[in-house]
Amino acid sequence: MDRRKVIQRIALGVASLSAAGIPYGLSRLLAPDRLTTSKIHYLRPPGALSDTTAFNEACIGCGLCGEVCPPKSIRFSDREGGSRLNTPFIDPAKKGCILCGKCMEVCPTDALTEVDRKDVEMGIAQIDRTACYPWVDRGVCGACVVVCPLGEHAIGFDFANMYRPVVKKGCVGCGVCVEVCPHPSLPIRIAERGSSTVVVHQI
Amino acid sequence: MTSPDSKPFFLWRHLNKLRWLSLSIVFLMLVLIPFLHLYQTYIAAHAYDLLYPSEKIIYDSMETLSAPFVSDPENDLDLLKGTTWSGRLFGLDLSDPLALAGQIAASGKVLWPFVLTALIPIGLTLLLGRFFCGWICPASFLYELNTTLGSWLRNIGLHTGQRRMSRKFKYLVLFVTLLLSPLLGSVAVAAIYPPAIVGREIYYAIALGGFGVGAVFFAGTLLFDLLVARRGFCRYLCPGGALYSLLGRFRLLRIQRVVEDCNDCAKCNAVCEFGLDPLRDGFGQECNNCTACIAVCPTDALVFKMTPKDQPDRGPGHLGRQYRRVHSENAGDSPGIEDGS
Repeated sequence: MDRRKVIQRIALGVASLSAAGIPYGLSRLLAPDRLTTSKIHYLRPPGALSDTTAFNEACIGCGLCGEVCPPKSIRFSDREGGSRLNTPFIDPAKKGCILCGKCMEVCPTDALTEVDRKDVEMGIAQIDRTACYPWVDRGVCGACVVVCPLGEHAIGFDFANMYRPVVKKGCVGCGVCVEVCPHPSLPIRIAERGSSTVVVHQI
Repeated sequence: MTSPDSKPFFLWRHLNKLRWLSLSIVFLMLVLIPFLHLYQTYIAAHAYDLLYPSEKIIYDSMETLSAPFVSDPENDLDLLKGTTWSGRLFGLDLSDPLALAGQIAASGKVLWPFVLTALIPIGLTLLLGRFFCGWICPASFLYELNTTLGSWLRNIGLHTGQRRMSRKFKYLVLFVTLLLSPLLGSVAVAAIYPPAIVGREIYYAIALGGFGVGAVFFAGTLLFDLLVARRGFCRYLCPGGALYSLLGRFRLLRIQRVVEDCNDCAKCNAVCEFGLDPLRDGFGQECNNCTACIAVCPTDALVFKMTPKDQPDRGPGHLGRQYRRVHSENAGDSPGIEDGS
């Protein structure tokens, strides 16, 4: 094979590879790029490996966790235009996790390892006391306390005012309270546990 | 070897219909499973009275379908989940060998419970070769329909792509994606492997309300098959096909040509989706035992054999014109038992 032919071959290969990339690029342009632009902290399903790289390497993107999820709270970054391949995530503002444990049980690669519902580490809820209705004295609510799947270990009422919610140490960050919160700007956020950050409330 | 009385088993000609049945069942299951999941979510939410009329139709039909088999649909239906990439078939966890290879390549660790789920597919592939591609793969179902569409287009005078490329290219794709996996930090093959894409896109479309990014890629491969090469993605690019071809290299069950019964009509070559050469005994590791050539053979000259390796090219078929011309000159009346190549 002479030199011209080799160069032609290489050029053809490069051209066909870039042509093959066009559908992907188009779909990235058309898909809403919500995961990368938004600052909201999306959650991994319960039991996910805490190291993000380890999780992405272990997850084969089979979607089984989403297929067993009873409230359909697990969604997929591939579908929602995220940068990662088909990995699962939970947007607590849409649907929180009910900690039923089915996804951990079904995961074939142990990217979601089975843990007790009290030991799940998805994050920890933080309540913005400048927006929450009872905390700014604009009525009584308590929806987050009523709905919490872990009960009084995770969230309770303030000692002084029996309608003001307070997050406790037992909170695993399932996000059901975020889902039910009636305030339109969602005063409850799920923050990363241990990063000791206070979530900034955005309106 | 074969006398006129020992005809091949009569059912072998109909295996191709069985294969279409198998492909259709797998595809229909992939459609059914998301509906069953929707039904489960409606049950879990105790939401029948709040459903839209269309959702009530799903609820009622899935209840009718599953009620004879399960007593507690919310949990019992979990026994039937997932896709061909990784799934649960009546309680038996099964995974694609490519998922295993991709996951090991990405993380560098071997997770034994996951290896166990891939053992049955690997064992079957060692015995039967690349059978997944012809008998199970949900993308194959659509690609073969796409081939049919291509032949219709040719019939009405439109040109479809018939290029031939190097089949070795897909091994390159396999190794490059496996090598890229640790660099990208994810199981990269899942993004370009059509059966995985088809499975999860069907789930997205039915349960999550719309197709995802993968559907665009899959539509691209369909166009590639139409415009560039017939069944081009499977033949030249698919990483899964490359892995199964390597695993099935020494498979036990093979299709072989009985040279005494062959009449050189070359219908087998025309019908072969993978561009192989059954007419000249050219099956090789990429034959997926799909039996399309057996179904089309007018003289039943293609049969299944239990043997670990292909036979070499045995020359023109004894019923064909070329063989008869040569041999009628030599010894007019004696029918050829051994081929005289």
